[in-house]
Amino acid sequence: MPVIHYIAFALTAAVIFTVVFVVPPAEGLGNYVRLAFFHIPVAWVSVLAFLMSAWWGQKVLRHHDMLADAKSAASARLGFIFTVLATVSGAVFSKLTWGSYWNWDPRQTTIFVLLLIYGAYLTLRAAIPTQRRARVSAVYALFSFLTVPFLVFIIPRLYFSLHPQPVINGSGHIEMDPVFLWTLIAALLDMTIIYWGLLYHIVCGHRHKDGKDGETI
Amino acid sequence: MIPSAFEGARIVMCKELRVSFRQQAGWCAMLMFALTTLACVSLSLSGGILEPKLQAALLWVILFFSSMAGADRGFADEDMAGTLPTLRLYGASQSVLWGKVGYTFCLLLILAAFLVPLYLIFLDVMILRPLWLLAAIIVGMAGLSIAGTLLGALATGASVRGGIFTVLMLPVILPVFLPGIALTDMAFGGEGGSGSYLLGMILYDLMLGVAASLLFDYLWYDD
Repeated sequence: MPVIHYIAFALTAAVIFTVVFVVPPAEGLGNYVRLAFFHIPVAWVSVLAFLMSAWWGQKVLRHHDMLADAKSAASARLGFIFTVLATVSGAVFSKLTWGSYWNWDPRQTTIFVLLLIYGAYLTLRAAIPTQRRARVSAVYALFSFLTVPFLVFIIPRLYFSLHPQPVINGSGHIEMDPVFLWTLIAALLDMTIIYWGLLYHIVCGHRHKDGKDGETI
Repeated sequence: MIPSAFEGARIVMCKELRVSFRQQAGWCAMLMFALTTLACVSLSLSGGILEPKLQAALLWVILFFSSMAGADRGFADEDMAGTLPTLRLYGASQSVLWGKVGYTFCLLLILAAFLVPLYLIFLDVMILRPLWLLAAIIVGMAGLSIAGTLLGALATGASVRGGIFTVLMLPVILPVFLPGIALTDMAFGGEGGSGSYLLGMILYDLMLGVAASLLFDYLWYDD
């Protein structure tokens, strides 16, 4: 078992303990704020997995690297799961705090479009013959990545949002209680390590099964 | 003599237009799909009056799904007819890409010219700012044709044909689709939309064009 799994296990235990026993109820949100320490990290990993999938996609196109294809596909699969978790946890948080599960808030729209992109990527991958699969998937991963600047940075600013300001706001200041801030940073780090651990596990598993660079993922 | 990329694109576009006029089935299917959808919407509303925002959204939904019946044909038809290897042999990648984008753009403009007047009549819509509607449709159709051509090339040879093109297109085209609805809302007298939306659409179209141009080489010279 690689060391990354031990780190993820220890950090997850520490984050759960802090969120349950140390973090105080937030003003206006009460105990519901604890859900944010799960929701924000899974949403962050959803975007990170998409970025990494596109990054490995360009390596496939430039270097014909089949290991990069395996990583890109694994990242997209994990990204899909993390996006579902972000969507569901966001909907529950929305119901508890704003009174409805879904209202097409800009950030809900963004995460839902990300879900559509992952779904489209995985559908395309399943439908394309093996000899073209790596290249076609890489092209779609990169082409769909064009939407990210619009969805993440522009649409939330064009439409009204119920979401609070980002942690680092427009004026460059961090307006968050230090306990919340450090717990959130630890949770983000933990979820990122979990993502890397799972990615490592999937890619190594397929390489071991195929005896080569995960061509059949 | 090897033609320049621009001349090559013009030749490919003329070839596409000539073939599609000869066959006619693609045009008929797309226009009839648009008419059928419009009739369904109009019948189901039974003369009811809609808000400008809803009118705009319905127009773009019909435009989007009707365009899906024709925007992917560029490469799929070549693949079915078995002419894709010949085109690959004689056509430079950029000439083929931009020739097919030009053809798809013409196709979608004809679709819009057919659908929009009928939509205005059937749903009794008043246009207060026609130039905004015209700009939104031209820029929107340009985005659809660029993305549609590249994604049509991607989907060529897919084992599942029905629906996959729409699944691939919707997330990529949303940054054109949503501002397009807002601008059309403004053209119909609503309060959504502004000049910055049009600028955003144009910028996104440019990004789509640059990305399609860079990525298409990897698909065209793949083996």
